[in-house]
Amino acid sequence: MTIRDLRKNYETKTGTVAAVRGVDLAIGTGEVVAVLGPNGAGKSTTVATILGLTQPSAGTVEVFGKTPRDAVTEGLVGAMLQQGNLLEDVTVAEVIGMIAGLHKHPMPAEQAMRMAGVTDIADRYCTKLSGGQRQRVRFAMALVGDPRLLVLDEPTAAMDVGSRRDFWQAMRSFTDTGRTVLFATHYLDEAEEFADRVVLLRDGRVVADGTVAEVRGSVTGSVLRAVVPGATLADLLRLPGVTGGELRGDRAELSCDDSDTALRALLVEHPLAHHFQITAMGLEEAFLSLTSTEEPLAGSSISTEEPLAGSSISTEESR
Amino acid sequence: MTGYLTLEIKRMLRTPRFVLFAIALPTLLYLLQSGLYKDESVPGTDVKYKAYLLCGLAAYGAFVSALSTGIRIAAERSGGWQAQLRLTPLSPKAYLLSKVVVSMIVALPAPIIVAMAGGFIENVHLSAGAWVQLTLGTWLASLPFAVLGVLLGLLASADSVQIYTAGVQLGFGFLSGLLIPLTGFPSWVASAVKAIPSYWLADIGHGALLGNNNTALAVLVLGAWTVALSALVVFSYRREAALA
Repeated sequence: MTIRDLRKNYETKTGTVAAVRGVDLAIGTGEVVAVLGPNGAGKSTTVATILGLTQPSAGTVEVFGKTPRDAVTEGLVGAMLQQGNLLEDVTVAEVIGMIAGLHKHPMPAEQAMRMAGVTDIADRYCTKLSGGQRQRVRFAMALVGDPRLLVLDEPTAAMDVGSRRDFWQAMRSFTDTGRTVLFATHYLDEAEEFADRVVLLRDGRVVADGTVAEVRGSVTGSVLRAVVPGATLADLLRLPGVTGGELRGDRAELSCDDSDTALRALLVEHPLAHHFQITAMGLEEAFLSLTSTEEPLAGSSISTEEPLAGSSISTEESR
Repeated sequence: MTGYLTLEIKRMLRTPRFVLFAIALPTLLYLLQSGLYKDESVPGTDVKYKAYLLCGLAAYGAFVSALSTGIRIAAERSGGWQAQLRLTPLSPKAYLLSKVVVSMIVALPAPIIVAMAGGFIENVHLSAGAWVQLTLGTWLASLPFAVLGVLLGLLASADSVQIYTAGVQLGFGFLSGLLIPLTGFPSWVASAVKAIPSYWLADIGHGALLGNNNTALAVLVLGAWTVALSALVVFSYRREAALA
């Protein structure tokens, strides 16, 4: 799968919004790739373009050397969308059987239902399903065409812990057969555990692309947490060694390229500071750092031309 | 595509409530009005009102049933089901055609049941050919409404589609004289309503009764509506896909 300089603009009442601003991505057969990024980073738009649901404003997308729609028509691509109701007045087995019937070379509907873990609810009407069950039915719908590329947009969003584990187990048995998987997710542990490769999006651009270890290694530094009574964020960001951070009430969380210097300076300027904690950046901090949508207020700046550079910790991204 | 169509037909059979209303209302109205007109004839002809009324009400039943599929399409669009279908090899053409076919199947019972009310309860006597034209002819001629239902489903949101559909059903039903005969209306009204396609749908039956050449013209007009509405369906579907 190849994406070249993908761009997508949406027209809104207030003007043009650029959701994707030049994404290049090549994925080889058998790769399992996680696409990470905060809300609005362009994950879903990129996924929709790969599936042919959305026409790019500029750039090209090729899937197995074909246009996305042709690849879907030939059953090469299966997909599970983030949202989407199921038909209410049909049973699980009926809908999977129908989708199988649309494909030229499907896997048996029973096999897809077994892999997705919906055999026990096959005769139930889709109205009677829980959120996690619906998601598994959507997974079976994606599998039944026996696709070579599986695209999943936040596949485990509606699942509880147990369902998530079962889901990834089913996914492993699928990827063991050499299929390619591209999934967008909010869960870092899923990316860390499951993906061969992680692509981080921010503001509609790729800011990091590599193995989990590479992405984590690209961000050096540590996080300094402390309670600092009476300080403003601007005060703290001026401290030497601090590259970014946030302040919630008295609690400061500062990303540092030199935490020792930062701590000494903090103690001089804010003698009342207490409860210090210094930790190395993990994938989560790397993620937050790399996908921060705000330009750093101080310290080193991130350049979109040079992915894998450190930057500030955002105040917006949820964990 | 046959698997998809089969599932759509199953779904329709499972929730027959839309169609039941489209059958019950014209049947009851027919029995009520033919009781009012007793054995009166349509002015200037020897055709009894109880036969004449059948045409309009059979047409009403057929087109109201045919429109009902749009409500599902709008729900499928806003619920994201249509997007899921776009991730399968099902072509837009097969999707839209299946919807039209289902609409046509839904439209079949109403004209037949209304005609049966005329034949068995009100003792209307017609030639075999006239019965066929009144029932199957009216049914086939409801094709533009099946297409119109799909169009409404593609244009309206899940919340508004019921209102639009009901508006078209009642507006067309009254204005084109299907629910109440136009014979009592001023002549300029009777001329103006010829712009409404459902007017011509009733003429399929009228032609059978009056033995005039209204039928050929009606087929021509309804055919033109079918072509025009189909073009709008294709345009709306493509526009929505392009804007996504």
